Amino acid sequence: MKPFDIVIVGGGGAGLYAAMEAMKTNPGLNIAVLSKIYPNRSHTSAAQGGANAALANKAKDDTVEMHIFDTIKGSDYLADQDAVEVLCSEAPKIIRELDNMGTPWSRMDDKTIAQRPFGGAGRPRCCYCADKTGHTILQTLYEQCLRKGVFFFNEYFALELSVDGSRSRGLIAMNIKTGKVEAFPAKTVVFATGGYAKMYWNRSSNAAGNTGDGQAIAYRAGIPLKDMEFVQFHPTGLRKSGLLVTEGARGEGGYLVNALGERFMSRYAPEKMELGPRDLVSRSLETEILEGRGFDSPAGKYLHLDLRHLGADIIKSRLPQIREMCMYFEGVDPIDDPVPVRPTAHYSMGGIDTDNYGRTIMEGVYAAGECGCVSVHGANRLGGNSLLDILVFGRITGRAAAEEASRFNPSPIPPSEVAEKEQELRSFMQPRGHYERYGTLREDLGHSLGANVGIFREASKIKQGIKDIESLKDRFQHVRVFDTGDVYNTNLIQVLELKNMLDLSETVAEGALAREESRGSHTRTDFPTRDDEKWHKHSIYTYEEGRPKLAYKPVTMGRYELQERTY
Amino acid sequence: MSDSTIQHHEESRDVTFRVHRFNPQVDSKPYFDDYTIKLEKGITVLRALNYIKEHVDPTLTFRAFCQAGICGSCAMRINNMSKLACTTQVWDELDKAREPGVIKIEPLRNLPHIKDLVVEMDPLVGKMKKYSNWVDSKMPESNWGKKEFLVSEEEFLTYDKATDCILCASCVSECTILRAHKEYVSPAVLLKSYRMNADSRDGIHDQRLAGLVQDHGVWDCTHCYRCQETCVKNIPIMDAIHGIREDAIERRGTKDTSGARHAEAFMDDIEKKGRLVEATLPIRTNGLAWTLKNLLPMAVKMIIKRRTPPPPPLVKASKGIQSLRKELKEMASHVAKDHEKKSGE
Repeated sequence: MKPFDIVIVGGGGAGLYAAMEAMKTNPGLNIAVLSKIYPNRSHTSAAQGGANAALANKAKDDTVEMHIFDTIKGSDYLADQDAVEVLCSEAPKIIRELDNMGTPWSRMDDKTIAQRPFGGAGRPRCCYCADKTGHTILQTLYEQCLRKGVFFFNEYFALELSVDGSRSRGLIAMNIKTGKVEAFPAKTVVFATGGYAKMYWNRSSNAAGNTGDGQAIAYRAGIPLKDMEFVQFHPTGLRKSGLLVTEGARGEGGYLVNALGERFMSRYAPEKMELGPRDLVSRSLETEILEGRGFDSPAGKYLHLDLRHLGADIIKSRLPQIREMCMYFEGVDPIDDPVPVRPTAHYSMGGIDTDNYGRTIMEGVYAAGECGCVSVHGANRLGGNSLLDILVFGRITGRAAAEEASRFNPSPIPPSEVAEKEQELRSFMQPRGHYERYGTLREDLGHSLGANVGIFREASKIKQGIKDIESLKDRFQHVRVFDTGDVYNTNLIQVLELKNMLDLSETVAEGALAREESRGSHTRTDFPTRDDEKWHKHSIYTYEEGRPKLAYKPVTMGRYELQERTY
Repeated sequence: MSDSTIQHHEESRDVTFRVHRFNPQVDSKPYFDDYTIKLEKGITVLRALNYIKEHVDPTLTFRAFCQAGICGSCAMRINNMSKLACTTQVWDELDKAREPGVIKIEPLRNLPHIKDLVVEMDPLVGKMKKYSNWVDSKMPESNWGKKEFLVSEEEFLTYDKATDCILCASCVSECTILRAHKEYVSPAVLLKSYRMNADSRDGIHDQRLAGLVQDHGVWDCTHCYRCQETCVKNIPIMDAIHGIREDAIERRGTKDTSGARHAEAFMDDIEKKGRLVEATLPIRTNGLAWTLKNLLPMAVKMIIKRRTPPPPPLVKASKGIQSLRKELKEMASHVAKDHEKKSGE
């Protein structure tokens, strides 16, 4: 097979923007987007709230500079300031670009793009389309990629990078519809596979497939990961399902209330109240529950998000999807009843270590979006910055990959590598005397991480978590795929996803144990304060003999000095 | 665990899922498997299927991703209607079950079958491409990102509902025309076409419309409303289809499509007789040569079975035809006034 110029793994916002920008950079390029689902179903569609950009449509005095500062402060000063500068300066341009290609933004009376307030932001700068922003952006990008003739390989599962010394030769993937393992020789590979927060399985807002496939493949190929211990819990997951109620609901004026009827955020963020940053609000909810001021139910303890005072009109026009979800999954209509919520694992700040162009240490390999770690979110991401991240860095990475693809010619992928991979997949289907089911392992992993490496962490608990992961990895040796067929074998896919989650969960736990401080989403009850002297640095993990080896690297500073973070 | 003791208070019962099975590698034809599991009230069909896959039969194959009703992966037929498994409550379906306690689960229709509950989505993507289901911006690409278009909230509202579409293909699955003609544009693609055409930022309105009035296009829809009744996002798909038709007649007249000519012949008959002169409809719609070639064999069969409509001379004007004509004239003048107003704006 003639090599592709670019193989993009993942068809969400970052992957599609990268594909589109690469086509714009050089229309002659041969670009493939591989997705384990159909691109229009990617998890980008679940992002409800919006994307930040200092357009100053709503608050005339908003500036890019303020957006930069809010982001750095929100990150608890762990973000690289040069990267944040790129993110925020590109933001107005990219929102307008999306508008120019057909994204249906909600509008203000003067016909410009509407903006609403979001947590941790000094001005209302979140651009949105009702509560379906991610969905409409994803559809727009997919439509534009179809228009431009990007070549899609839908329902392909990425297995492994083919590496030649310090360079990648391309990717090995399985066609889910046929079960065939295929080589995708490529001059450049871009990982855009999204986050890994589904490892918290039952307590996660993520789609079933957010299993960190891209990070796991890169990690096992020797590419370092960064800041994996920072997993963000979103304050308002639905009690039963963990599904998300957008921060937009609080942006529109929703209150958080405990079992005593108190608007308890006055205790934790007297100024910002419900619009404090996510790490702080999540901890506040968890504290209320731990101190006995939550409601009790068979599905666990919870608190109330009260939207009733917004009135039926606002709820129906600005939060229609949220209303539907509350009715489908909790049986409450937010017009009449408060919504039962509790924090849920939501976003992975960590990911594949890249520079500001999405480049990794391996030649020809890039990463963008939640899959990568530039890092613009540091220890805690602000709402409305994740869509922005995938758009801005999807585009930059697409351009960089297109430029590199015009310069390089990799060696071909040896057929033996494909055959070996095929053999490995078959081995999961061998009958074995004692076997394990993926469903059980997956659930045990989620429970252990939630209990031991969740919102509040301490050494003894994290150690227990690490022990659990080790034992789960042993049990995984006995996992069996019962579906022995080739066609659309979802049983096999789920086992492969579990393997990825197990490898990554080890980096999360090891990183959390090592980091003896509290910063952003990482809260150590045994080290409750931020320790800049020892820990103002990025964690770096390299795969060595099946385990993560930890190292550190400095945070890039800029004009903002370290400050205490209050809201 | 305290959790499980409390959960005993929830109503629970045995539910049978009768699931369509087919693995092309080993089965020569599809069959049904019954899975009976104990479930608590409040469980969705998707959670029940996940339970079956994890604890009863790992080979059972279906798609699911976001599990929150926004990605469209888990669309399937549940008790003879296409729905998202993730937003469908088992208890609601038990009320609708034909056989007590049995919920029938089948793959979507009108798309090629792959395995168990999984169907091929590529034909839908192919049609999105064929009918240019994207905004082809009036702004040249080299200028993208410099300034935003000005779009009124009013305009946004005309396609706001249409942008809810998650391409789950439930409407595609229930479409009666697609069952006869796989080439038919399909309701989902019509909806998207409508949304693009209504967008003032788009520059290929006329080109898209020209495609939509061709064979297998917008005129093939028979108004059965199944798409709209099925839509998991409650999108008024028929309004969109009507919108494209009105747009087509306004912009292109009735000259170039069999559907538009059919509609015109229809109106003509009503005006003259108050009822259809069915025998000559095909000739007036598609011409004599086409009718002889395509419909004569069927007409012969219909004559043999005595199913033919009365010959044209026997179609008498309806009673009250005078007042009907008067009303039609009035309506026509209202429509003309509306059009004048519109073009004057």
